[in-house]
Amino acid sequence: MYNVIQLLVKYGAHILFVVLEIICFTLIVNNNDPQKKIFLNSSNILAAKIEEQRNNIVEYSNLKNLNDSLLRQNANLIENLISIDYSNDNVPEPDSLLLQYNLIPSKVINSTINLRNNFFTIDKGSREGVRPDMGVIESHSGLIGVVRNVSDNFAHVISLLNRQTRISCTVKNRRGHGTLMWNDMDPLRMSLESIPKHEKIEVGDTVITSGYSTMFPRGILVGKIESIKVPPGSNSYSVSVKLFNDLTSVKYVYVIQNIYAAEQTLLEKEVVNE
Amino acid sequence: MNKYILPNILRIIIIFIAQVVIFKHMTFNLDNKIFVHFIIYPATILLLPIKTPRAVLMIIAFIFGLLLDVFYDSIGVHAAALVFTAYVRNIIIAFIEPFEGYNINDVPTIKNLGIGWFVYYMSIALFIHIFTYFSIEAFTFVYFFEIILNSIFSFIVSFLVIMLIQLIFRPKY
Repeated sequence: MYNVIQLLVKYGAHILFVVLEIICFTLIVNNNDPQKKIFLNSSNILAAKIEEQRNNIVEYSNLKNLNDSLLRQNANLIENLISIDYSNDNVPEPDSLLLQYNLIPSKVINSTINLRNNFFTIDKGSREGVRPDMGVIESHSGLIGVVRNVSDNFAHVISLLNRQTRISCTVKNRRGHGTLMWNDMDPLRMSLESIPKHEKIEVGDTVITSGYSTMFPRGILVGKIESIKVPPGSNSYSVSVKLFNDLTSVKYVYVIQNIYAAEQTLLEKEVVNE
Repeated sequence: MNKYILPNILRIIIIFIAQVVIFKHMTFNLDNKIFVHFIIYPATILLLPIKTPRAVLMIIAFIFGLLLDVFYDSIGVHAAALVFTAYVRNIIIAFIEPFEGYNINDVPTIKNLGIGWFVYYMSIALFIHIFTYFSIEAFTFVYFFEIILNSIFSFIVSFLVIMLIQLIFRPKY
Protein backbone atom coordinates (compact mmCIF):
# COMPACT_ATOMS: atom_id res chain seq x y z
CA MET A 1 0.00 0.00 0.00
CA TYR A 2 2.78 2.34 0.96
CA ASN A 3 4.49 1.60 -2.32
CA VAL A 4 1.39 2.47 -4.29
CA ILE A 5 1.07 5.81 -2.53
CA GLN A 6 4.73 6.54 -3.11
CA LEU A 7 4.33 5.69 -6.77
CA LEU A 8 1.36 8.03 -7.04
CA VAL A 9 3.27 10.85 -5.35
CA LYS A 10 6.25 10.36 -7.61
CA TYR A 11 4.55 9.84 -10.94
CA GLY A 12 1.11 11.27 -10.16
CA ALA A 13 1.37 14.08 -12.71
CA HIS A 14 2.44 11.73 -15.51
CA ILE A 15 -0.30 9.25 -14.71
CA LEU A 16 -2.83 12.08 -14.58
CA PHE A 17 -1.55 13.30 -17.94
CA VAL A 18 -2.00 9.90 -19.54
CA VAL A 19 -5.44 9.45 -17.97
CA LEU A 20 -6.65 12.87 -19.09
CA GLU A 21 -5.34 12.39 -22.63
CA ILE A 22 -7.00 9.00 -22.86
CA ILE A 23 -10.28 10.58 -21.77
CA CYS A 24 -9.82 13.34 -24.34
CA PHE A 25 -9.07 10.98 -27.20
CA THR A 26 -11.95 8.71 -26.25
CA LEU A 27 -14.19 11.77 -26.38
CA ILE A 28 -12.71 12.87 -29.70
CA VAL A 29 -13.12 9.51 -31.37
CA ASN A 30 -16.62 8.95 -30.02
CA ASN A 31 -18.05 12.39 -30.65
CA ASN A 32 -16.41 13.78 -33.78
CA ASP A 33 -17.15 12.21 -37.11
CA PRO A 34 -14.02 13.06 -39.13
CA GLN A 35 -11.65 11.79 -36.47
CA LYS A 36 -13.75 8.68 -36.02
CA LYS A 37 -13.52 7.90 -39.69
CA ILE A 38 -9.77 8.39 -39.71
CA PHE A 39 -9.43 6.22 -36.61
CA LEU A 40 -11.47 3.43 -38.15
CA ASN A 41 -9.64 3.70 -41.43
CA SER A 42 -6.14 3.96 -40.06
CA SER A 43 -6.02 0.23 -39.53
CA ASN A 44 -6.98 -0.29 -43.16
CA ILE A 45 -4.62 2.26 -44.64
CA LEU A 46 -1.64 -0.09 -44.58
CA ALA A 47 -3.53 -2.97 -46.14
CA ALA A 48 -5.01 -0.68 -48.77
CA LYS A 49 -1.58 0.78 -49.57
CA ILE A 50 -0.08 -2.66 -50.15
CA GLU A 51 -2.99 -3.74 -52.31
CA GLU A 52 -2.77 -0.54 -54.32
CA GLN A 53 0.95 -0.98 -54.86
CA ARG A 54 0.43 -4.51 -56.12
CA ASN A 55 -2.29 -3.33 -58.47
CA ASN A 56 -0.01 -0.59 -59.76
CA ILE A 57 2.69 -3.08 -60.62
CA VAL A 58 0.37 -5.62 -62.22
CA GLU A 59 -1.59 -3.12 -64.24
CA TYR A 60 1.39 -1.11 -65.30
CA SER A 61 2.23 -3.51 -68.09
CA ASN A 62 -0.95 -2.92 -70.09
CA LEU A 63 -1.56 0.63 -68.90
CA LYS A 64 -0.24 2.21 -72.05
CA ASN A 65 -2.53 0.30 -74.39
CA LEU A 66 -5.50 1.02 -72.19
CA ASN A 67 -4.64 4.69 -72.14
CA ASP A 68 -4.29 4.91 -75.90
CA SER A 69 -7.65 3.28 -76.49
CA LEU A 70 -9.29 5.56 -73.93
CA LEU A 71 -7.77 8.61 -75.60
CA ARG A 72 -9.05 7.45 -78.97
CA GLN A 73 -12.53 6.90 -77.56
CA ASN A 74 -12.45 10.33 -75.96
CA ALA A 75 -11.44 11.92 -79.23
CA ASN A 76 -14.38 10.27 -80.97
CA LEU A 77 -16.79 11.42 -78.29
CA ILE A 78 -15.59 15.02 -78.50
CA GLU A 79 -15.81 14.91 -82.30
CA ASN A 80 -19.42 13.78 -81.91
CA LEU A 81 -20.12 16.54 -79.41
CA ILE A 82 -18.79 19.16 -81.79
CA SER A 83 -20.96 17.89 -84.62
CA ILE A 84 -24.01 17.77 -82.33
CA ASP A 85 -23.37 21.40 -81.45
CA TYR A 86 -23.43 22.18 -85.14
CA SER A 87 -26.61 20.29 -85.87
CA ASN A 88 -28.33 22.05 -82.94
CA ASP A 89 -27.39 25.48 -84.20
CA ASN A 90 -30.20 27.67 -85.48
CA VAL A 91 -28.54 28.11 -88.82
CA PRO A 92 -28.57 24.77 -90.62
CA GLU A 93 -25.09 23.72 -91.61
CA PRO A 94 -24.25 21.64 -94.65
CA ASP A 95 -23.56 18.02 -93.88
CA SER A 96 -19.99 18.23 -94.96
CA LEU A 97 -19.22 20.42 -91.96
CA LEU A 98 -19.86 17.48 -89.66
CA LEU A 99 -16.66 15.94 -90.92
CA GLN A 100 -14.68 19.14 -90.76
CA TYR A 101 -12.93 18.53 -87.47
CA ASN A 102 -10.69 15.65 -86.60
CA LEU A 103 -9.04 15.23 -83.19
CA ILE A 104 -5.51 13.96 -82.62
CA PRO A 105 -5.04 12.61 -79.08
CA SER A 106 -1.72 13.51 -77.58
CA LYS A 107 0.20 13.68 -74.33
CA VAL A 108 1.75 16.71 -72.66
CA ILE A 109 5.42 16.05 -72.05
CA ASN A 110 6.57 19.47 -70.88
CA SER A 111 4.72 22.48 -69.61
CA THR A 112 5.31 25.76 -67.86
CA ILE A 113 2.65 27.52 -65.83
CA ASN A 114 4.41 30.08 -63.69
CA LEU A 115 5.95 32.30 -66.31
CA ARG A 116 4.54 35.38 -67.96
CA ASN A 117 4.44 33.47 -71.26
CA ASN A 118 3.73 29.78 -70.87
CA PHE A 119 4.09 26.91 -73.34
CA PHE A 120 3.31 23.23 -73.63
CA THR A 121 5.19 20.57 -75.53
CA ILE A 122 3.14 17.62 -76.79
CA ASP A 123 4.30 14.32 -78.20
CA LYS A 124 2.64 14.46 -81.62
CA GLY A 125 4.22 16.25 -84.53
CA SER A 126 3.94 16.72 -88.26
CA ARG A 127 4.05 12.95 -88.84
CA GLU A 128 0.65 12.60 -87.17
CA GLY A 129 -0.68 15.63 -89.01
CA VAL A 130 -0.16 18.39 -86.46
CA ARG A 131 0.45 21.77 -88.15
CA PRO A 132 1.11 25.25 -86.78
CA ASP A 133 -2.00 27.30 -85.88
CA MET A 134 -4.07 24.29 -84.94
CA GLY A 135 -6.10 24.60 -81.76
CA VAL A 136 -5.50 22.35 -78.78
CA ILE A 137 -8.20 21.41 -76.25
CA GLU A 138 -8.27 19.29 -73.12
CA SER A 139 -11.86 18.16 -73.44
CA HIS A 140 -15.12 19.53 -74.74
CA SER A 141 -14.98 22.04 -71.90
CA GLY A 142 -11.43 23.25 -71.78
CA LEU A 143 -9.10 25.09 -74.10
CA ILE A 144 -5.36 24.55 -73.91
CA GLY A 145 -3.79 26.73 -76.57
CA VAL A 146 -2.60 26.96 -80.15
CA VAL A 147 0.22 25.06 -81.85
CA ARG A 148 3.14 27.36 -82.60
CA ASN A 149 5.63 25.17 -84.39
CA VAL A 150 6.10 21.48 -85.02
CA SER A 151 8.91 19.02 -85.56
CA ASP A 152 8.53 15.47 -86.85
CA ASN A 153 7.42 14.05 -83.52
CA PHE A 154 6.72 16.99 -81.25
CA ALA A 155 4.77 20.21 -81.26
CA HIS A 156 5.22 23.38 -79.29
CA VAL A 157 1.94 24.85 -78.07
CA ILE A 158 1.30 28.39 -76.90
CA SER A 159 -0.62 27.98 -73.68
CA LEU A 160 -3.73 30.02 -72.94
CA LEU A 161 -1.64 31.49 -70.13
CA ASN A 162 0.42 33.55 -72.51
CA ARG A 163 0.48 37.20 -73.38
CA GLN A 164 0.18 36.39 -77.10
CA THR A 165 -3.06 34.48 -76.68
CA ARG A 166 -5.95 35.95 -78.67
CA ILE A 167 -8.91 33.64 -79.07
CA SER A 168 -12.21 34.72 -80.46
CA CYS A 169 -14.95 33.86 -77.99
CA THR A 170 -18.62 34.55 -77.50
CA VAL A 171 -21.16 34.13 -74.74
CA LYS A 172 -23.57 31.23 -74.99
CA ASN A 173 -27.08 32.27 -76.04
CA ARG A 174 -26.05 35.93 -76.37
CA ARG A 175 -24.80 37.90 -79.31
CA GLY A 176 -21.56 39.72 -79.86
CA HIS A 177 -18.09 38.28 -79.59
CA GLY A 178 -14.82 39.30 -78.02
CA THR A 179 -11.22 38.29 -77.61
CA LEU A 180 -9.98 36.03 -74.83
CA MET A 181 -6.71 37.23 -73.31
CA TRP A 182 -4.57 36.54 -70.29
CA ASN A 183 -3.75 39.70 -68.42
CA ASP A 184 -3.39 38.74 -64.77
CA MET A 185 -0.97 36.15 -63.52
CA ASP A 186 -3.85 33.98 -62.25
CA PRO A 187 -3.78 30.56 -63.99
CA LEU A 188 -7.50 30.03 -63.40
CA ARG A 189 -8.83 33.29 -64.81
CA MET A 190 -8.68 35.07 -68.15
CA SER A 191 -10.25 38.20 -69.45
CA LEU A 192 -12.62 38.59 -72.35
CA GLU A 193 -12.25 41.98 -74.01
CA SER A 194 -14.12 43.99 -76.62
CA ILE A 195 -17.64 42.62 -76.31
CA PRO A 196 -19.68 45.70 -77.32
CA LYS A 197 -21.34 47.55 -74.45
CA HIS A 198 -24.85 47.36 -75.92
CA GLU A 199 -24.96 43.55 -75.79
CA LYS A 200 -26.54 42.14 -72.64
CA ILE A 201 -24.39 39.68 -70.69
CA GLU A 202 -24.60 38.56 -67.09
CA VAL A 203 -22.36 37.12 -64.41
CA GLY A 204 -22.58 33.33 -64.55
CA ASP A 205 -23.00 33.12 -68.31
CA THR A 206 -20.94 30.51 -70.13
CA VAL A 207 -18.20 31.64 -72.47
CA ILE A 208 -17.72 29.49 -75.58
CA THR A 209 -15.45 29.71 -78.60
CA SER A 210 -17.02 31.64 -81.44
CA GLY A 211 -15.67 29.61 -84.33
CA TYR A 212 -14.54 32.76 -86.13
CA SER A 213 -11.14 31.29 -86.86
CA THR A 214 -9.70 28.11 -88.25
CA MET A 215 -8.35 27.01 -84.90
CA PHE A 216 -11.39 26.14 -82.80
CA PRO A 217 -14.86 25.02 -83.83
CA ARG A 218 -17.79 26.93 -82.38
CA GLY A 219 -19.06 25.82 -79.00
CA ILE A 220 -16.04 24.60 -77.05
CA LEU A 221 -16.84 25.59 -73.45
CA VAL A 222 -14.25 27.94 -72.02
CA GLY A 223 -15.41 29.21 -68.64
CA LYS A 224 -17.94 31.11 -66.59
CA ILE A 225 -18.20 34.89 -66.35
CA GLU A 226 -17.10 35.95 -62.91
CA SER A 227 -17.28 39.72 -63.05
CA ILE A 228 -18.18 42.36 -65.63
CA LYS A 229 -16.74 45.85 -65.77
CA VAL A 230 -17.01 48.70 -68.22
CA PRO A 231 -13.78 50.69 -68.17
CA PRO A 232 -14.53 54.43 -68.19
CA GLY A 233 -14.58 55.88 -71.68
CA SER A 234 -14.67 52.46 -73.28
CA ASN A 235 -17.23 51.08 -75.64
CA SER A 236 -16.90 47.48 -74.57
CA TYR A 237 -17.01 45.28 -71.52
CA SER A 238 -13.98 43.98 -69.68
CA VAL A 239 -15.04 40.54 -68.46
CA SER A 240 -13.23 38.24 -66.05
CA VAL A 241 -13.72 34.58 -66.97
CA LYS A 242 -13.09 31.64 -64.63
CA LEU A 243 -11.81 28.74 -66.72
CA PHE A 244 -13.49 25.34 -66.52
CA ASN A 245 -10.22 23.47 -66.72
CA ASP A 246 -7.09 23.77 -64.64
CA LEU A 247 -4.12 24.34 -66.92
CA THR A 248 -1.68 23.60 -64.15
CA SER A 249 -2.41 19.88 -64.23
CA VAL A 250 -2.94 18.94 -67.85
CA LYS A 251 -1.79 15.50 -68.95
CA TYR A 252 -3.68 14.58 -72.12
CA VAL A 253 -4.84 16.95 -74.83
CA TYR A 254 -6.40 16.83 -78.30
CA VAL A 255 -5.16 18.74 -81.30
CA ILE A 256 -8.00 19.94 -83.53
CA GLN A 257 -7.36 19.25 -87.15
CA ASN A 258 -9.56 21.47 -89.30
CA ILE A 259 -9.68 19.89 -92.73
CA TYR A 260 -10.71 23.10 -94.49
CA ALA A 261 -8.32 25.38 -92.59
CA ALA A 262 -5.87 25.78 -95.48
CA GLU A 263 -8.67 26.61 -97.90
CA GLN A 264 -10.15 29.22 -95.55
CA THR A 265 -6.87 30.97 -94.76
CA LEU A 266 -5.91 31.03 -98.44
CA LEU A 267 -9.18 32.68 -99.33
CA GLU A 268 -8.87 35.23 -96.53
CA LYS A 269 -5.30 36.02 -97.48
CA GLU A 270 -6.30 36.77 -101.06
CA VAL A 271 -8.75 39.35 -99.83
CA VAL A 272 -6.10 40.99 -97.66
CA ASN A 273 -3.62 41.07 -100.50
CA GLU A 274 -5.95 42.84 -102.88
CA MET B 1 -0.54 32.11 -2.65
CA ASN B 2 -4.14 33.09 -2.05
CA LYS B 3 -3.79 36.45 -3.70
CA TYR B 4 -3.17 34.65 -7.01
CA ILE B 5 -6.42 32.74 -7.01
CA LEU B 6 -8.92 35.51 -7.67
CA PRO B 7 -7.02 37.28 -10.49
CA ASN B 8 -6.45 33.97 -12.23
CA ILE B 9 -10.07 32.91 -12.00
CA LEU B 10 -11.06 36.30 -13.38
CA ARG B 11 -8.53 36.00 -16.18
CA ILE B 12 -9.70 32.52 -17.09
CA ILE B 13 -13.28 33.71 -17.32
CA ILE B 14 -12.38 36.81 -19.35
CA ILE B 15 -10.16 34.91 -21.77
CA PHE B 16 -12.79 32.22 -22.16
CA ILE B 17 -15.45 34.76 -23.03
CA ALA B 18 -13.08 36.64 -25.36
CA GLN B 19 -12.09 33.43 -27.13
CA VAL B 20 -15.66 32.23 -27.61
CA VAL B 21 -17.30 35.56 -28.39
CA ILE B 22 -14.61 37.39 -30.36
CA PHE B 23 -11.70 35.28 -31.52
CA LYS B 24 -13.70 32.22 -32.53
CA HIS B 25 -15.41 34.32 -35.20
CA MET B 26 -12.22 35.89 -36.47
CA THR B 27 -11.08 32.66 -38.11
CA PHE B 28 -10.26 33.28 -41.75
CA ASN B 29 -8.50 31.41 -44.52
CA LEU B 30 -5.81 32.36 -46.96
CA ASP B 31 -6.25 31.07 -50.47
CA ASN B 32 -8.80 28.48 -49.29
CA LYS B 33 -5.92 26.40 -48.04
CA ILE B 34 -4.43 27.89 -44.92
CA PHE B 35 -6.84 28.28 -42.03
CA VAL B 36 -5.82 30.96 -39.58
CA HIS B 37 -7.27 30.62 -36.09
CA PHE B 38 -6.84 33.08 -33.26
CA ILE B 39 -5.84 30.80 -30.41
CA ILE B 40 -5.28 32.95 -27.35
CA TYR B 41 -6.79 30.74 -24.65
CA PRO B 42 -3.53 28.86 -23.82
CA ALA B 43 -2.57 32.07 -22.03
CA THR B 44 -4.85 30.96 -19.16
CA ILE B 45 -2.60 27.99 -18.44
CA LEU B 46 0.66 29.66 -19.40
CA LEU B 47 0.14 32.68 -17.11
CA LEU B 48 -0.56 30.69 -13.94
CA PRO B 49 2.11 31.05 -11.22
CA ILE B 50 5.31 29.21 -11.99
CA LYS B 51 5.19 26.87 -9.02
CA THR B 52 1.63 25.69 -9.71
CA PRO B 53 1.64 21.89 -9.39
CA ARG B 54 1.46 20.06 -12.65
CA ALA B 55 -1.64 18.12 -11.65
CA VAL B 56 -3.55 21.33 -10.91
CA LEU B 57 -2.46 22.77 -14.26
CA MET B 58 -3.69 19.73 -16.12
CA ILE B 59 -7.03 19.55 -14.35
CA ILE B 60 -7.68 23.24 -15.06
CA ALA B 61 -6.60 22.68 -18.66
CA PHE B 62 -8.89 19.67 -19.02
CA ILE B 63 -11.98 21.42 -17.68
CA PHE B 64 -11.25 24.64 -19.57
CA GLY B 65 -10.60 22.74 -22.80
CA LEU B 66 -13.80 20.75 -22.52
CA LEU B 67 -15.86 23.89 -21.92
CA LEU B 68 -14.21 25.48 -24.95
CA ASP B 69 -14.94 22.37 -27.02
CA VAL B 70 -18.63 22.72 -26.24
CA PHE B 71 -18.55 26.06 -28.06
CA TYR B 72 -16.33 24.84 -30.88
CA ASP B 73 -18.37 21.65 -31.45
CA SER B 74 -15.24 19.55 -31.30
CA ILE B 75 -15.48 17.61 -28.03
CA GLY B 76 -12.04 16.68 -26.75
CA VAL B 77 -9.82 18.37 -29.33
CA HIS B 78 -9.04 21.56 -27.44
CA ALA B 79 -8.97 19.67 -24.15
CA ALA B 80 -6.39 17.18 -25.41
CA ALA B 81 -4.16 19.91 -26.81
CA LEU B 82 -4.44 22.07 -23.70
CA VAL B 83 -3.71 19.18 -21.32
CA PHE B 84 -0.64 18.45 -23.36
CA THR B 85 0.43 22.10 -23.16
CA ALA B 86 -0.10 22.08 -19.41
CA TYR B 87 2.00 18.93 -19.18
CA VAL B 88 4.97 20.38 -21.07
CA ARG B 89 4.69 23.86 -19.55
CA ASN B 90 6.91 23.09 -16.56
CA ILE B 91 9.48 21.45 -18.81
CA ILE B 92 9.67 24.61 -20.92
CA ILE B 93 9.92 26.78 -17.80
CA ALA B 94 12.76 24.65 -16.48
CA PHE B 95 14.43 24.68 -19.87
CA ILE B 96 14.58 28.48 -20.17
CA GLU B 97 15.27 29.17 -16.49
CA PRO B 98 17.15 32.48 -16.13
CA PHE B 99 20.61 32.55 -14.60
CA GLU B 100 19.45 33.57 -11.14
CA GLY B 101 16.59 31.06 -11.04
CA TYR B 102 12.94 31.66 -10.15
CA ASN B 103 11.47 33.02 -6.93
CA ILE B 104 8.97 30.81 -5.20
CA ASN B 105 6.19 33.31 -5.85
CA ASP B 106 7.08 34.25 -9.41
CA VAL B 107 4.31 34.76 -11.93
CA PRO B 108 5.27 34.53 -15.61
CA THR B 109 4.72 38.16 -16.54
CA ILE B 110 6.77 40.71 -18.43
CA LYS B 111 7.17 42.75 -15.26
CA ASN B 112 8.65 39.90 -13.22
CA LEU B 113 10.90 38.14 -15.67
CA GLY B 114 11.58 40.60 -18.46
CA ILE B 115 10.25 40.84 -21.97
CA GLY B 116 12.97 38.65 -23.47
CA TRP B 117 12.15 35.74 -21.23
CA PHE B 118 8.43 36.24 -21.73
CA VAL B 119 8.64 36.27 -25.53
CA TYR B 120 10.80 33.17 -25.45
CA TYR B 121 8.47 31.33 -23.10
CA MET B 122 5.24 32.38 -24.75
CA SER B 123 6.39 31.65 -28.31
CA ILE B 124 7.68 28.14 -27.53
CA ALA B 125 4.66 27.15 -25.47
CA LEU B 126 2.13 28.72 -27.82
CA PHE B 127 3.63 27.11 -30.90
CA ILE B 128 3.67 23.72 -29.22
CA HIS B 129 0.04 24.18 -28.29
CA ILE B 130 -1.07 25.32 -31.74
CA PHE B 131 0.84 22.58 -33.50
CA THR B 132 -0.63 19.98 -31.15
CA TYR B 133 -4.08 21.41 -31.68
CA PHE B 134 -3.90 21.21 -35.48
CA SER B 135 -2.36 17.76 -35.36
CA ILE B 136 -5.15 16.43 -33.16
CA GLU B 137 -7.73 18.20 -35.28
CA ALA B 138 -6.39 16.56 -38.44
CA PHE B 139 -5.86 13.34 -36.47
CA THR B 140 -3.30 12.04 -38.94
CA PHE B 141 0.07 13.22 -40.15
CA VAL B 142 -0.90 12.61 -43.77
CA TYR B 143 -1.57 16.35 -44.00
CA PHE B 144 1.67 17.31 -42.33
CA PHE B 145 2.38 20.19 -44.69
CA GLU B 146 -1.06 21.73 -44.15
CA ILE B 147 -0.73 21.29 -40.40
CA ILE B 148 2.61 23.12 -40.38
CA LEU B 149 1.30 25.96 -42.54
CA ASN B 150 -1.86 26.36 -40.45
CA SER B 151 0.23 26.31 -37.28
CA ILE B 152 2.70 28.91 -38.45
CA PHE B 153 0.13 31.42 -39.63
CA SER B 154 -2.17 30.91 -36.64
CA PHE B 155 0.80 31.17 -34.32
CA ILE B 156 1.82 34.54 -35.75
CA VAL B 157 -1.58 36.18 -35.29
CA SER B 158 -2.28 34.58 -31.89
CA PHE B 159 1.14 35.51 -30.56
CA LEU B 160 0.72 39.12 -31.67
CA VAL B 161 -2.66 39.34 -29.94
CA ILE B 162 -1.36 37.86 -26.67
CA MET B 163 1.69 40.14 -26.66
CA LEU B 164 -0.47 43.19 -27.37
CA ILE B 165 -2.81 42.34 -24.50
CA GLN B 166 0.16 41.80 -22.20
CA LEU B 167 1.79 45.07 -23.18
CA ILE B 168 -1.42 47.06 -22.86
CA PHE B 169 -2.69 45.72 -19.52
CA ARG B 170 0.64 44.73 -17.93
CA PRO B 171 -0.92 42.36 -15.38
CA LYS B 172 0.78 42.01 -12.02
CA TYR B 173 -0.42 38.50 -11.27
